This record gives sequence, C-alpha cells and structure tokens, in this order.
Amino acid sequence: MWVDVMNGWLRKLPAWPIYIVGPMPAIWLFSQGVADTLGPDPVKAIEHQTGLYALQLIIAGLMVTPLRRFVGLNLLKLRRAIGLMAFFYASLHLLTWVALDMAFHMAQALGDIVKRPYITLGMAAFLMLVPLAATSNDRAVRKLGALRWRKLHRLTYPAAVLGAVHFVWLVKAWPPKPLIYLGAVVALVALRAVPRRSRPPVQEKGAVVPPPVVSS
Amino acid sequence: MAFETLVRPEEMPGQRSAILDWPYREGLRIDEAMHPLTILATGLYGEEMPKQNGAPMRLVVPWKYGFKSIKSIVRISLTDTQPLTTWNMQNPREYGFYSNVNPEVDHPRWSQATERRVGSGLFGGRVDTIRFNGYGDEVAALYAGQDLAKDF
Repeated sequence: MWVDVMNGWLRKLPAWPIYIVGPMPAIWLFSQGVADTLGPDPVKAIEHQTGLYALQLIIAGLMVTPLRRFVGLNLLKLRRAIGLMAFFYASLHLLTWVALDMAFHMAQALGDIVKRPYITLGMAAFLMLVPLAATSNDRAVRKLGALRWRKLHRLTYPAAVLGAVHFVWLVKAWPPKPLIYLGAVVALVALRAVPRRSRPPVQEKGAVVPPPVVSS
Repeated sequence: MAFETLVRPEEMPGQRSAILDWPYREGLRIDEAMHPLTILATGLYGEEMPKQNGAPMRLVVPWKYGFKSIKSIVRISLTDTQPLTTWNMQNPREYGFYSNVNPEVDHPRWSQATERRVGSGLFGGRVDTIRFNGYGDEVAALYAGQDLAKDF
C-alpha cells in the first residue's frame, strides 16, 4: 500500500527542516516589502499574507489526526513544527497589525480589539494559541501529563474556528475564499466528533477466519 | 443622481457570481454631482483610463475618497427619490448614502480617525484623517444643518 511506503519515508524524515523552511516565506515577504515591490499597499499585503499562512498552517495541523485515523498516513512527528510555524505566522500577523498598520497607535488599537468583532475574534484566537505554543516542548508534555496536555491542546479547535470566522468577517460581501477556509476548518474539527468504534478483535496473521453463518 | 456600471460578465469575471446585486450602483445628491470638485474621469496619469481602473469613465469624489468611485459608467439618471447604492443595499449599517470622509464617524469594522497614506511604503505610519478629506472649505456648506453622524 502507498500509505505504508509513505509512512516508511516519513519515519526517516526529520522535522527540523520545517523550522528552517517555514520562516523563509516570511523573510521573502518582508524583503519584498522593504524593496517596495508589493504594490501600492505593502502593509496590507504583508498583513493579509501572514494571516493567510497562519490559517493554512493551522489547517495543515488539523489534518494530521484525521489523516492518521481515516487514511493511515502518519504525520504526527511533523505536527509540533507545523503548529509552531502557525503560531509564528499568527504572531507576525499581529505584529504587522500593531507596528506597521496601526503604527503603535495603541489607544486606537485597543479600542479596535474591543469594538470590532472581527478583531476581537482574531485576538481571542491568537491568545488561545499562546499557551499551546508555550507547551510545545517535551518538558511541558511531561510536566502536564499526556492527558492534560492533550486536553489543553484541544484549544486548537476554537482557535482555528475563530481564526477562520475572523477572515470571513473582515471581508466585505461574501467572497468564496474565506468561506472555503471556514468550511475546511469546520469540517476538520467536526471529524473529531466521529465516534471511535470499539476496535475489532485483533486477528493473528494467517488465522483462519470462520465463514459467515448464513441462515436460510 | 444615479450611476450604473456596465454589466458584462464575460469580460468582468467578478460579475459571474451573484456576490452583489448587479449592476453596481452609486448615487449622489444633485448639488454634490454638480460640485466643481466632482470629477468624471476619463484618464489616469495623463493616459487613457485603463480598463481595470474603470474605462471609459469613472466617478471621483475627492471628499468621499474611497467611496462613490463607480467605474465603467454606462448610465446616469436623474431620479426623484434618493437612488439605491450597491453597498448601502448590501449592508446599510456599514455604508450610508453619503459616505463622506469623517474622522468622527466610526465604521463598524474600522476607525476613520486615522489613515495610512497610499504610497507611504512599509513604515509610512498613520496620520490623522481630516474631515471631508481636507476639502471642508469647498464642500462643508453642502451639508449645512445636516447631522453627518446620522447621514453618514
């Protein structure tokens, strides 16, 4: 099966290159901004692109478990790196807004966080990501215990949904792109609700399977 | 005064989806439309108006900058009642008929108190927004006696 082949490759693949490759689009984006090749409003371009990368990475992270459960593809070892990259881009997105867009007009920025629902949601989503990023190391997993750590990291679901709603809300009218992102997030979160069937009894290789009983 | 944009979905791909109630519509009061600052532009930077900027003719109302700039106008009509405008039809709470630049009126999704200047680059920062985009001396009289927070 191709999944087994893929899993074999993935086992050999280290996760650390993600930390090298992941920030590259950000460096590219900011250098384009400095070179002024991002069109008439480079601030908006950077703000939108970093937000989009964050959302895309959150979606990628949310795909890990369903891919393992329903397809058998195991990307678990990449999940932490994907999640941390999502946090990295969400931080850049927020930083771009505060520093380049709002130009540190803090009173106005804080007012916007309270007054504008889409900014409120985006901010809430970001705050939810903070404890997740802070506990994305082996020491935190050990300290919290696997169960509590997993419970805490379910914050990913509301954070992802709020992030996507933030995107839908900030555009005018109803263009399809933000709705597709929201649809993807909702679908991926909903997959978590699919009940786990109790596992069928393990069959030994080569065990004789009894023929089904056919009643006439 | 009512303005309408050309509907030609085979050339204007955005119109292929019913995202707005086409044709795009804008409106001005007669005195606003007759004001010498109100421009029907047929060109840009000394060149003929490019298609994507609203060829052959678009509206520019400097004290409503960012609003009312309807492109590719194919019909202008004089109406006896206040004409419908597309964004007002779509979301009346956010888009009023007048859409004057007014730092005191908050848009539900953003503040109009400050602005970033187009072309100021990555570290351009923000400047305070001026009422009527700085054309108060020329146009404020049009709205004498009107509460512009209500007629936003």
